[in-house]
Order: sequence, then C-alpha cells, then structure tokens
Amino acid sequence: MNGYSGKVLHVDLTSRKTWAESKPEEWYKMYIGGVSMAARLCWENIEVGCDPLSPGNPVCVGGGIFAGTPVPVGGKHGLASKSPLTGLLGDSLSGSWFSVVLRRAGWDGIVVHGASDEWVYVLVDDDRVEFRDASHLLGQGTFETEEAIRENLGDDQVRSSTIGPAGENLVFFANVTNDGRQAGRTGHGAVWGSKKLKALSVRGTHDVHVADAETLLKLSYEIVQAAQGPHTEKYRVLGTVANVLNMNRMGLLPTRNYQQGTFEDAELISGEYLHEHHKVKTIACAQCPIACEQMSRVTDGPYAGAMTGVEYESLFAISSNCGVSDMNAAIKALEICDESGMDSMSAGVTISWAMETFERGVFTKEDFKCAKYPEGFEPYFGDGEALVTLAEMIRDREGIGDLLALGTKQASAQVDAERGTETYKWAMHIKGLECPGYDARGLKTFALGLSVVTRGACHNRTAAYDVDIKGLVDRLSIDESRGKLAKETEEYAAVYDTLPLCKFIRRCFTGKADREGAWPAIAQLINATTGWDFDYDAVDLIGERAHTIKKAFNIREGWTRSDDHLPYRWQHEPMKEGASAASVVTEEELEYMKDLYYEAKGWTKEGLIPKEKLIALGMDDVAEEIGV
Amino acid sequence: MRVHLEFLGLSRLVAGVTEISLDLEEGTTFRDIVPKLGTTYPAMRESVSRPDSETLQNPNAFSLNAKRMIQASQMNDRPSDGDRIILMSMSIGG
Repeated sequence: MNGYSGKVLHVDLTSRKTWAESKPEEWYKMYIGGVSMAARLCWENIEVGCDPLSPGNPVCVGGGIFAGTPVPVGGKHGLASKSPLTGLLGDSLSGSWFSVVLRRAGWDGIVVHGASDEWVYVLVDDDRVEFRDASHLLGQGTFETEEAIRENLGDDQVRSSTIGPAGENLVFFANVTNDGRQAGRTGHGAVWGSKKLKALSVRGTHDVHVADAETLLKLSYEIVQAAQGPHTEKYRVLGTVANVLNMNRMGLLPTRNYQQGTFEDAELISGEYLHEHHKVKTIACAQCPIACEQMSRVTDGPYAGAMTGVEYESLFAISSNCGVSDMNAAIKALEICDESGMDSMSAGVTISWAMETFERGVFTKEDFKCAKYPEGFEPYFGDGEALVTLAEMIRDREGIGDLLALGTKQASAQVDAERGTETYKWAMHIKGLECPGYDARGLKTFALGLSVVTRGACHNRTAAYDVDIKGLVDRLSIDESRGKLAKETEEYAAVYDTLPLCKFIRRCFTGKADREGAWPAIAQLINATTGWDFDYDAVDLIGERAHTIKKAFNIREGWTRSDDHLPYRWQHEPMKEGASAASVVTEEELEYMKDLYYEAKGWTKEGLIPKEKLIALGMDDVAEEIGV
Repeated sequence: MRVHLEFLGLSRLVAGVTEISLDLEEGTTFRDIVPKLGTTYPAMRESVSRPDSETLQNPNAFSLNAKRMIQASQMNDRPSDGDRIILMSMSIGG
C-alpha cells in the first residue's frame, strides 16, 4: 500500500506487551489519518463509559498521510482519548518532527492501553519497542524531557511527545508536547499522567513510499512557492497575534472573563507591540515553508529571560481576559504553561474565572495562600504577578491551584456545591472546555458552531467564525442559513484536521480557500501519495466522516442535545460596549439554530444519527451501536 | 468629505502610522482608496493590495466602522463623511 505501512502499533503499559495490527486499505480510505484516525482508534479501543483517567482510556495517535513526504505543512498528527475535562472525545493536533519520524518508523498509528505501575517512557525504534524507566525525568519540563531523552539515548534523531509537571500532576487541561508544539485542549497530558507515561519517543529510519513521487514533488513545489507569497505574509510577519487589535475593534476581544469585548490596553498586548518589543525570531514546524510561530522574550524586569512562542489564542486568555496589560507577565505565564505542558487557553480562562470569583467576594485572600504568599494574595483583574503565581499553583496543584486544575466547569461546580454560590454563571466553557478568543455573542453563526463542537468550545473545530467575521452574513443576527453554514464550516475544518494539513496553507493551492479552490488540489496530493482515485466529493466526505466518528463516540458515551450549549453569560448578559454592544445569543435563538444544524446534518431533532445515514457513510459497525 | 483610515497588522507595519485622515471627493468608492494607499505607501502594492492596485489582497479587507466588512463585490460602495475605515487582515485557523 503506498503512503501507508498498513500497520498500527499497540502498546499495553499494564502487561508490557506490544503487537501490530494490520488495517485494510478501505479503513484508511475511510479515516485517512490525523484526528479522524485517532478518533476511530479511540472508538475501537476504549472501554465504553470508563473514567478518562483510568487504564481503560487509550492514548490514540493518528499519523498524517503527508507526514514524511514533501507536501508542505503535512508534518502533523492527531491525538485522541476520552477527555477528563469534558468526559467526551478529546482530539488534538500537533505537528513537526514527531509526526515525520512516526511515519518513518513504519507505523500509521499508535494505541497505548492500560497503565504502568512505575513511570516509564516508551521508545519506538522502528519495529522495536522498549519500556524505559522515566523516574529520572519526573518534574522536568516538556522541552527538558525531550532533550534529556535524546541525550540519554545518545541519538539526536529521536523525537518525543512528552508531558511536563502539569501532566504528571493530572491537571485536567495538561498538554502533550513535541518539538515545541502542543497537542493542546481537552487534557491529553492528564491521560498520559494517569498511565505514568512520561513520553512516547520514536526513531524512524524507513522510507515513506508514495505512488507517484514525481507528481507529488511537482505539486508540492508549486504550493511551497505560493506559500512564500502574500497569502501567508500575515502569518510570517506578525503571526496570529495580529488578531488582538482586529478583535478589539470588532468588540469581540474577551476581556476580564468575557465581561467586556474591548480592552482599554489592547495596544499593549497587540501583535504589533509584540513584534516591536519582544519578538526574537519566527520558527517553523517540520515540512512548513510558512514559519508562523513568533518566539518572544522578556528583556527586563522580574520576568527577564522568559521566552516562548506566542499565539493569539494563548495571548488573549492570559492577558486581556485576565485584564493584564503587562506583556512581560503574559509571556512569563505562557512560558510556565508551555514548559509545564499546560493548555494556556484553559489556564487563562480558568484563572480569569478565579479572578472574577474573587472580585465578587466568593473567594477571599485566604483562599490564595501558597508557599510564595503564606498570608494569601488578592488576584484582582490586571494583576500580572497574581496571573503568574496562579499559573504556577495550577501546575503544582498547590493550594487553590488544586481546584483550578479541574478547569472552570468542574471547579465552579465544586465551589457552588460547597458554598451555595452561582459561580457557574461566569464559568466560560462549553462541554467543560474553556472558550476561545472570540466573544460569540457578536458572532452568531460561530455561537452555533461552537455549541455543537464535539470536543467543546474550540474555534479550530468549527470554522464558523469565518462567515461572521468576513461579513458573509450579518454576525449580529440569525437566519435560516446558519445550520447549513455551521455544518459546512465544521466539515471543511475536519478535512484539514484529518489529513492533517495546517489550515494556514489553504489559500496556497489556487489562491482561493474555499472547497472549490482547495479540494481538487488536495485530491491530487492524496492520489499522488496513495495511488487512489479521490475526487472533489471524496475529499468532501473526509470531513463528514471525521466529524461523524467523533460525534458517534460522544453519543456512545452518553451525549444528549442539552450538551450542545453556550456559557450562561453569553445567553443572559448582553455585551456592554464596543462594536458588538447589546448583542447576546438567547436560548430561543440557540435552540432554533441547533434545529437547523441537526437538520442540515441529516440527524434527528435530538441530534442522534440515523442508521441509514451512517451506513451511507460506510460506517455500518457504528450504525449498529449508536444508529437510530 | 473626510474619513479616518486606521491601519492594523501588516498595513500598520508598512505605513508606519496607526491612522491617517483622508480628504476624499464626494462619490469616492472603497476601490478608489486602494490606489491612493499604493501611491502614499508603495510597499502596500506588494503585500496589501493586489497587482492591479485596485483591490485588496485577500485576507486584507476594509471594515466600515468595525460593523461591516467590505466584500470584494462591495468595493464600489461609498464611505460617508466621518466614517472610520479599518484596514485589517484576519489570521484564522492553524
């Protein structure tokens, strides 16, 4: 089989056994790779209904169809497990060298079962698998761990996915990190920590065989050329942080735990400011000709020397949403998140929930006692030192950090149960996953898209903000088009997440980012890699199947229509000022849009999937289990 | 009439200023503003506007008073006196 090895590696941490599973070519045509393959492996291997932090929850890695080939931005892989934050499917993407060596080692995917009694890291050296002691790596950060494993093995070609202290401490939004990239959201790091799995290291020496190398090289070269031009300049020069001022002007920049959509100090946390005062250089993932990651450093003050890559979604959460205008404190907090392997979006939004809970008098100074501040401290919005300290406390599960490590949904539920309060009213999550950097009250198609995302409040799994922000629809009102738009945009995103390809390349095929502009080119890339005969429709089906397997997983775990919700604040508190003032998404509006969405998907009014729909997608075994 | 043109992102880096005021003749369209920018800031012809210098390079776009994005098909619309036009480029996805 060209493009694939046809094998998935299974590793059982409990029994210390390993085995290879052969998959038929039809299976690959259905699930391709990335989050779709990882989700399918999760479907096949999980103990249904298990605790996400129990041995029955597998770690599933889905390789990239283009990883290890010349296809630009194809060096990515997917990761899936049941999420401790949501209790539903957690699926993430990461990129760079780990994805490449996984393919070169001859494995299309990996499933890690069970749990180890002692801390281990698993070394996959082509066909050979070793369980190695990781006790000496405990407490080390994600980057440190990668380097220590390379030094320990004396091999700089080994690439590792690792967890840091946050994963070891079972922070529910801990990440898995490789090559400086984060498989973030939904808490994979905690799942790995529950298995005492410190790292998955891979050394690969095989070639990746493709069907038509000459065509693949030619197509790839053309895309690389386009990726050096104006379509990607914004990513190369400023990166995603350019969105700070855009969102602020549109009244959509989450500020002080989404109480406001504009931040008076937005200029001080802008991409333009970062570019001028903190940027050190840009970094690219393996196989990427764009290089979007803006490495930024603090040069003076108490956090001097702190350095990390800064993205918009991380930055809003840790700065404006906490009322913090001190870029030095923001970079320091992000460094803590990245080094400890902690999702900076969830960390920032959870900290902002804690700040509001303090300002409303539910939490007091006493609640914030820690070794650094034995008498406690007062985490008002805007306090950069409180932000940094809280990030450290969550990482270490120290004091109130132990509560905040559960994320906003479970932390607020615990506080409300113990204190008789209503902090859930400002707990900004969907399905347990903290919200992204766009206030959905002013983006109503996005509000629908976000409410129905299978992994919770993720902007990347629904691309529905695109139609709102570009003005293709009126972002402040609703109409009957929104269900279809939410379906189309989420399935569009799912194609990229399945191959996976970074979405930043989407204009570089023909200049147009829509299906017509991209799908024919992607079909050519797939066919040159595999020898298949994919066309526009086959590429389009990739997205629908990917989304369907994730949804099916959730249904089997007990998902119901009421799980497709928005945070209380977005439904009950109109925005106060700015270009989106007075906007709110009422319950009636959301339920109406959900009806439209389920209808567009071909699902029942309760959001369940008819058997015939699943069978038409070739998912007969799924139909048997959850079809209605 | 006079409009305010604010630069965000790449256009700000190229222009070197955050905003300017433009005195325009009545009837001026959004399309007419693009070549004026290219004249004042030649580097914008490479990264912000298309080679025809009449339209903006995707995903750069004008936002009218932060309420409405001006679509390619709406470039012949006319701003009004006192309008704030924001030249922005969105970075979505990844």
